[in-house]
Amino acid sequence: MNNHSITLKINGEEYKLTVPANRLLLDVLREDLQMTETKYGCGTGECGACTVLVEDNKNICSCVTLAATMDGREITTVAGLEKDGELHPVQEAFIDEFAVQCGYCIPGMVLKTVSMLSENPKPSEEEIRRGLEGNMCRCTGYTKIVNAVQKASENMAGSES
Amino acid sequence: MSDFKTVGKNERKADARGKVTGRTIYVDDLQMPGMLYGKVVRCYEHAHARVKKLDLSKAAGVPGVIKVLGPEDVTQKDYNNSVIPLMVAEETAGMLGDIDDQNIFTTHVKHYGDAIAGIIATSAEIAEQAAREIIVEYEPLPVYLTAEESKQPDAVQFVESKPGNLAFELPEPMFPGNALGWGDVDEAMKDADFVVEDEFYTPKQKQCQMEPNTYIALYDDEERLHCWTSTQMPKSVHRTLSKLFDIPLSRFKLHTEAIGGGFGARLGMILEPEVCAMALAVPGRHIKLQSPREEDWLTSPSRHPGRYKMKIGFKNDGTPVACDAKFVSYKGAYYIDGSGVAYTTGAWLSSMYKWGTLRYKGETYFTNQSTCGAFRGYGNPQTNFTMEQLVDRACNKLGMDPVEWRKRWHKDVGDDGWCAGVPLSSCALDECLDRGAEAIGWKEKRAKYAQQSGVKRKGIGVGVMVHTSGAMPMLLEHTVSTVKLNEDATAVVTLACTDIGQGSHTTLRQIAAETLGFPFEDVYMNVNDMDAAGYDIGAHASRTLYVGGGSVKAACEDAKQQLFERAANELEANPDDLVMEEKKIFVKGSPDKSILVEDITRVGVYNYINPETGQRDKEPGQIQGYSSYFPNHNSPPFGACFAEVEVDTETGEVTILEAVNATDIGRAINPAIVEGQLDGGAQQGFGFALTEEMYFNEDGKCLNNGFTDYKMLGASDMPKMTDILVENPDPIGPFGAKGVGEGGLVSPIGAVANAIYNAIGVQITEAPITPEKILAALENS
Repeated sequence: MNNHSITLKINGEEYKLTVPANRLLLDVLREDLQMTETKYGCGTGECGACTVLVEDNKNICSCVTLAATMDGREITTVAGLEKDGELHPVQEAFIDEFAVQCGYCIPGMVLKTVSMLSENPKPSEEEIRRGLEGNMCRCTGYTKIVNAVQKASENMAGSES
Repeated sequence: MSDFKTVGKNERKADARGKVTGRTIYVDDLQMPGMLYGKVVRCYEHAHARVKKLDLSKAAGVPGVIKVLGPEDVTQKDYNNSVIPLMVAEETAGMLGDIDDQNIFTTHVKHYGDAIAGIIATSAEIAEQAAREIIVEYEPLPVYLTAEESKQPDAVQFVESKPGNLAFELPEPMFPGNALGWGDVDEAMKDADFVVEDEFYTPKQKQCQMEPNTYIALYDDEERLHCWTSTQMPKSVHRTLSKLFDIPLSRFKLHTEAIGGGFGARLGMILEPEVCAMALAVPGRHIKLQSPREEDWLTSPSRHPGRYKMKIGFKNDGTPVACDAKFVSYKGAYYIDGSGVAYTTGAWLSSMYKWGTLRYKGETYFTNQSTCGAFRGYGNPQTNFTMEQLVDRACNKLGMDPVEWRKRWHKDVGDDGWCAGVPLSSCALDECLDRGAEAIGWKEKRAKYAQQSGVKRKGIGVGVMVHTSGAMPMLLEHTVSTVKLNEDATAVVTLACTDIGQGSHTTLRQIAAETLGFPFEDVYMNVNDMDAAGYDIGAHASRTLYVGGGSVKAACEDAKQQLFERAANELEANPDDLVMEEKKIFVKGSPDKSILVEDITRVGVYNYINPETGQRDKEPGQIQGYSSYFPNHNSPPFGACFAEVEVDTETGEVTILEAVNATDIGRAINPAIVEGQLDGGAQQGFGFALTEEMYFNEDGKCLNNGFTDYKMLGASDMPKMTDILVENPDPIGPFGAKGVGEGGLVSPIGAVANAIYNAIGVQITEAPITPEKILAALENS
């Protein structure tokens, strides 16, 4: 297996790594860098537990992304959302709206929400529900997650005005 | 409203911040120094076979492989992943015919993905590579996917002690005629003015908890075995593993971290025996065993699928004079929860309506599918799908409103619940039905949808449920709690109850704070300290709030009593005359005669001898409250779900437009958390009814062991849920609360099935109700 020397900028920090060509981004994060906030749920890009953000808040599934293809890219995990001890408004909204149960899907859900809101700051309920397809939750029935996205959207609009 | 300080309030979930930041640790997040990786080698060639030859030598030679384990390299003891046998007396288990039929690595492969060997290596990749070097020869055996096949006289026997592959039927000594019920059903049926009857099929549904299974085990230098697991039932698993490996409980520690969902999949063990066997084979090293999603699907239990025949006889006034039912389920490969589900499926049937007479038979047969076991609802979904559709069929014949019929005939306070001799302690189902009907606009919509002929037809349906709070008296119910009062007048509660996401550590904390009279913030829950925590059965049967809560309440009452006795001494008053407010204890009506709680708790710890008198001025000793709690009831919760659907008669597609779930939960300790249980339950109930089923080909290979081809309802498939929490405090539950963990899944099944019936005028007797089945039914109608 060929090795690749790559540089990843994760949550603002640069990491120089040598990875085999078949190494998944999820495994680099979780195992090589011990950034366990990104979760393995299915390994097939279906459940979204492994969601991370790349530039411009685009969301990708790190379980189906080869780390070598991410050379030079900026990656945000859920740990990168908190700034100076202040939670991101999406994180706050998930807590306030009781959108969190077992929590395993939540890092991915939070990042998917950040991504959705940066593209569409005022989504309708239908847009939220469609936007969350690809991120699975087995605990909440999605009701309180949808509420949290709506609340985050309102709070973020409020803070910008 | 009540004058509670924290009970009834939406206190923030204690674990939420760690989960939104990703800092919460699940077992798979742990990395131990020098950790090795385990791999279970599985048979993916056959669903039924004998291992004729197993050559591990080549695999053992792969660089980086530390050890390979065949069936004879690990304990030869039989065991069963279920922990239910611990919860009944040995004589009862004998009468039930509960058996241990599993080995760590098998030579008789009974399902696709059964475990045949183990590998321990320095990395997961090397273990994987070594697994490919194992040489196995199999003798294929006939594959039985249904009871109808495996019960044939010439079928290969799964276990010698279970002739005809009949894993379980209701035993004659406990249930004469192998049936549960009362009265003479045959005679009563003759008196019926009409009967409704049919055979239904209910699917093999998967729990799909989002966290796959990972374990770590270590046999340490003090000869102590450790196992990190996401089980729902740590203490029961602890005991079961201790017996399996002959290691005393004191030399065996179970470690729990955050648990990424359970829904019954983790009710008992999954791969704990495998990882512990690996750790014992390589003492001194941590072994991590990760089970990928597609493997979890095959190795953790599913819901029991099966065929459910039911015949109900009615009088023309609606009286249900007789109910005759039989559920034959497909057990899968192993006995896990074999007696439990076959029994409770009928128990739920017995506790819902005032049947004049009832006869329920439950049988379960081994098959070469992945094993079945516990799944949220534990037999109730199967009963709900069948019973609720037949009731609506009867209502149509009677010309009676389904809501009115249910209000007239549901069981009520004083009637036997799911176990004869344990009468229902509270019931607010009428209020659930009334408020739910009102919220969804039942009467108007029912009338409006009566005559439809278009391509897209709307329908509205109702389903009701009764469940339980804990499994008493069928199973042992027991939780131990201790509460320690710190010197600064804060408290720490130690117990082994798990929070599998449902929020129990938050609600139990509310119960503790309310009982102590302390602010919510001043109580800490010590919940992952299994050496310190006393016994708890574990999270199942909607019991954690009810039994765990009862235990926490009793322990806190004990601590508070001790506190008040000391205060009474100081204030020269009677403890019964004291009250506490803002951590100050005073004589009722005389707020000036008071003492700070902290002045008692501090002095109890920092208790000095007065140098002048040589005596102690105050009472010494740190106050601890204790409870070893066995509840004497099971306070069943009730609920009514209403669903409105639209059916496309050209494509067969069903859209759930709206749903209202009104549930009698006694009291909501934390309303937002209760709503979360109902919403999540509905997603699984609607999934059972509409989309979810594991499929197998004729060779027994599972065709959809992953999220790609197993359809759960997503965010855009789910309707907006309206939850109505009907609070009618139960006389027994802590602060009047009843269990809410499972019931929210049950009634949505009947509701959505009946809504489809209302829309298209035909009932679909096989779940999940897929578009294909709808189109076929419309064609035949």
